[in-house]
Amino acid sequence: MNALLHSAVAIMTPLLLAAMGGLFTELSGMLNIALEGLMLMGAFSSIVFTYLSGSMIWGVLLGIVATMLLATLLAVVTLNLKSNVFITGLATNLLASGLTIVLSFRLFGNKGVVVFDRIGSLPRWDIPLVSDIPVLGAMISGHSPFVYLSWVLLALSSWVLYKTPFGLRLRAAGLHEKTLVSLGLSPSAYRFIAFLVSAFACAIAGAVLTLNLGAFVPNITSGKGWIALVVIFLGQKKPLGLLGASLVFGFADAFSNYAQGAWNVPADFILAIPYLFTLLAMVIVSIHADWKERIKR
Amino acid sequence: MSDTAVTMHDIVKTYRETGRCANDHVDLTVGRGEILCLAGENGAGKTTLMKVLYGMEKPESGTITVMGKRVKIDSPLDANRLGIGMVHQHFMLVDEYTVAQNVILGREPMHNRFTIDADAAKRLVDEVIHAHGFSIDPSARVGSLTVGQKQQVEIVKMLYRDVDILILDEPTAVLTEQETASLFGTLRTLRDTGKSLILITHKLHEIKAISDRVAIMRQGRMVGHYETASVDERELAGLMMGKSFSPAIGKTPYGRKQETVLRFAQVSVVRRNQGRPMLKDVSFVARTGEILGFAGVGGNGLGELESVLAGTLPISGGTITHRGQDISKSDAHRLRERGLAYVPSDRLKVGSALEASVSENLIIAARKRFSRHGMMRGKHIMQHARTLIDTYSVQGTADMPIGTLSGGNIQKVILAREIAQYRDYIVFSEPTWGLDIASSKFVHTQMIALRDAGASVLLLSSNLDEILSLSDRVLIFSRGSIVAELEGERLHTVTKEEMGAYMLGMHVREAAHE
Amino acid sequence: MNDRMDRRWKRFLGVPRSALGSLVILFIALAAVFLLSFLLSKTPARTLRYFFIGPLQNTYYLGNMLNTSIPLIFSALGVSLAMRAGSFNLGGEGQLYGGAFIATVSAVAMAGWGIAGVICAIVLGAVTGGVMAAFSGYLRMKWQTNELITTFLLSNAVSLVVGYLIAGPFMDPATNLIATRKIPESFRFSRILEPSNLSSALVMALVMTVVVHLYLYRTKSGYELRMYGLNPRFARYGGINSGSYLVLPMFLSGALYGLGGAMAIFGTYYACMKDFSVGMGWNALAVALIARFRPVAIIPAALFFAYIESGARNAMLHSDVTFEIASIVQSVVFFLVTSSVLQRIGTKRERG
Repeated sequence: MNALLHSAVAIMTPLLLAAMGGLFTELSGMLNIALEGLMLMGAFSSIVFTYLSGSMIWGVLLGIVATMLLATLLAVVTLNLKSNVFITGLATNLLASGLTIVLSFRLFGNKGVVVFDRIGSLPRWDIPLVSDIPVLGAMISGHSPFVYLSWVLLALSSWVLYKTPFGLRLRAAGLHEKTLVSLGLSPSAYRFIAFLVSAFACAIAGAVLTLNLGAFVPNITSGKGWIALVVIFLGQKKPLGLLGASLVFGFADAFSNYAQGAWNVPADFILAIPYLFTLLAMVIVSIHADWKERIKR
Repeated sequence: MSDTAVTMHDIVKTYRETGRCANDHVDLTVGRGEILCLAGENGAGKTTLMKVLYGMEKPESGTITVMGKRVKIDSPLDANRLGIGMVHQHFMLVDEYTVAQNVILGREPMHNRFTIDADAAKRLVDEVIHAHGFSIDPSARVGSLTVGQKQQVEIVKMLYRDVDILILDEPTAVLTEQETASLFGTLRTLRDTGKSLILITHKLHEIKAISDRVAIMRQGRMVGHYETASVDERELAGLMMGKSFSPAIGKTPYGRKQETVLRFAQVSVVRRNQGRPMLKDVSFVARTGEILGFAGVGGNGLGELESVLAGTLPISGGTITHRGQDISKSDAHRLRERGLAYVPSDRLKVGSALEASVSENLIIAARKRFSRHGMMRGKHIMQHARTLIDTYSVQGTADMPIGTLSGGNIQKVILAREIAQYRDYIVFSEPTWGLDIASSKFVHTQMIALRDAGASVLLLSSNLDEILSLSDRVLIFSRGSIVAELEGERLHTVTKEEMGAYMLGMHVREAAHE
Repeated sequence: MNDRMDRRWKRFLGVPRSALGSLVILFIALAAVFLLSFLLSKTPARTLRYFFIGPLQNTYYLGNMLNTSIPLIFSALGVSLAMRAGSFNLGGEGQLYGGAFIATVSAVAMAGWGIAGVICAIVLGAVTGGVMAAFSGYLRMKWQTNELITTFLLSNAVSLVVGYLIAGPFMDPATNLIATRKIPESFRFSRILEPSNLSSALVMALVMTVVVHLYLYRTKSGYELRMYGLNPRFARYGGINSGSYLVLPMFLSGALYGLGGAMAIFGTYYACMKDFSVGMGWNALAVALIARFRPVAIIPAALFFAYIESGARNAMLHSDVTFEIASIVQSVVFFLVTSSVLQRIGTKRERG
């Protein structure tokens, strides 16, 4: 059970990060389906830059820069050339998927899995005191720094969104953009920044995937960006909700991994469980929302 | 120091998308401490001119002088900095935010370099509210406020920005008589403290009631500035429309043989977990050959009545009969099959599909008639559209998306469709809301003609002038119930103040003393 | 979220089209191919030649290119039908895969039925896709559950389960491939351009395009569907039964996907291979978007898409670039195709 909770937290981290980034674009009024592509770009560039620079910190930082460049392209086309955000998001996903494979082929002569054995593994941090608490200690202690970074970032985004002028205006852009326009503020400017923020968070989310594995696998994100989008809706677009929703999903994933080993159930079958589980959660949330709506009437 | 607050000179503004010249070499002057009405028909260019002044539209040429200084206004921020504020016709408010958050948005008081000082925000907003005698709670959510209160928030938002010149775009369009009176009181107080106010309007009696001067625009040009005292309503209307105008509508009293078409008996609509019913024991009959007016303030049941008539809101008690048959449980589909004709209050969101063509919009309720064995009969549909476009002189063609038509023409299309559809009764909800004088008159003429042809016309309207000038019988709603029925002589002698008192649920005599 | 999206999509559908704007986009896409060739290839001229001329150089490549477009046409029609009704079917891949799987196994089971077996198997495949999509439509009708997400989730789950079934109980022990048994030879569609893979399914694709077009623009049900998609409140106001237009278009949409899957099996693959459908759902979505959900425009859009894929495949086979440059070129087109700024280049001002 402890191992299950521990791996649930580890699995939820990239989801939480990507969903956090997506929260900014979502609240600014853009349906950002490019989370998947941005994550993939972050995953690829972080490990390649780590490999090239020999430092994980530089690797992740440069990975963030590369992902932000991709997001800039997405933002310019969407906001300045006024394209449909769904389609440009789709384009970003396609581009990231194609570009990472093309570059991997060009740089390493390999279109498949690229293993970087030189870079070593991520450190694990034991949290003093907390690690002694039963259950909770095992759950939240002994993770990679990224896990703790994601929590710090979650607190930070909550503060930015709800306590700063930037957050107030960003959310206004999503709720009623004409209000901003009438005050001489540009909704596009806030959306542009939101795209960059989501690229920042997705880059880290991607880095977690590849640096944990020490390898790049084509399309390693395998739908995690989409799940992150589901997490945003399940979490009712609130920072704490994201934490809960991604934990639920992480747990479902961890459980199916465990079941696969323990009961010898076919892998594909087991992999379907998180999707069905999320589907069920979606339905329950919407029944609940519908019920609340009816009461209001 | 001069006495003029704003001078706009030779402003030209052409909309690139349509190529239409909205402002054709327009001049405007606004004095200090005066209320100026900017009047004109829809599409005369009033709002465009004010958006230029507020920095939301860039003119091709022309100069603006504010407080004696030549200025360049590129954005609302510039306008605010120069002391110019604007209250838009469609509120620029975030419903999910509190009053205080809405007011400070874009000019937030800071706690430190990064954090908003929420307490200071509340305090500052409360100060503005109190200084001007408003009655709103800074921590209330804007979505829960009434229309009149939302407008107060808009004004507070501008006063918080220390404006000296305040533009209001059709501020009374959504207000009741009482709210309008209170708004006018506020505006006079603001004027007396030295602020200049510009009101965009096309309501003649309001121009007379509130303004010191009036500037009239017609088809993108400035007709002239006038002292309000020196022109009467008839002259104003003539200046706005460019031809002589008779405000009264010729109407013959009804006297045909009357049959009951629709009967409401003790109809109620209750929502769960809500103490007060939306409609309570509403009983009335609608007869052929009469216009039955329904008057009421927003939120007092007219909206629900409209939905019940349309078949989109199920009733929780009572019965509705149409020609003796129970239709209490009928939905929109069944009602349409029985011949429901209905001009909805929300023309754009309910009454039309903006991206669909005019011909497609014209057959929505009659689609069975225009199809055979499930296939649409294209030629018939186009023929039908052309006939109606001609009959109602709609400015547009059958295959244009209806959204590209003007507001008045969209309403004509809806009217044409519903009149072609009607069998014995027809419902009009706010049929002239936002329409200019000429279009309104067209709608009113159609309603009279329908009644004279023997239709039972149900008119739901918050515009008392419209109710009083058209209806043969009036039912007044307050808090979901009918509080008064006026007919015959009583209808001719009732004053708007008395009507207002009924609508607010007050006793008539008490109201008269106020 | 749906309201907000609806508005965006409608704006997208309403953007005026201009020939010049489309040419600019095409030019940028071609420039991207050139750029990629020069950057990534040691023999750019050879790469370019195979990319552009390759798909057209002989009947084999031409036929294969046309064949690639068949499932795209069916699936893009599926996307468009749902979209025209204001619903989003993002689960096409699972519906296509599920439909193909059911069609295959039922064809194998009904080997002795002759032509009736072919029809039954294809109909079962279509119904499978339809039911999957209709389920999401039903959830939306009942509880306003966001169908964009439920179709996606259900599709992923079904894809994995189908993958398990192909690799497990239904695997053909006779081959090394992870695939089901092959459908009977008498069930297979005839090849119409030997030696390529092109089958008579192409005719079905063209017929289906016309059928969907006629349905949308010439029938009462199609009219009601479009009005519901443009403005649900208007449709309800006009007495259109709104609930059914959340479910019916989704069913038809899923059924077209399932049909596309069945066509791929009966025309090309003959057996349902594991993960054969990967990417097809997204590509179909892309084709439908380029065509702006207009059935007739889907054919050129699908051909364009197939051309780029075939070009990239050719360049990969005969030169030194990887196939994935196709996705880069496609993404360039996507980035630009809905830009209202680019689309307005050269359009005349409406109304004087």
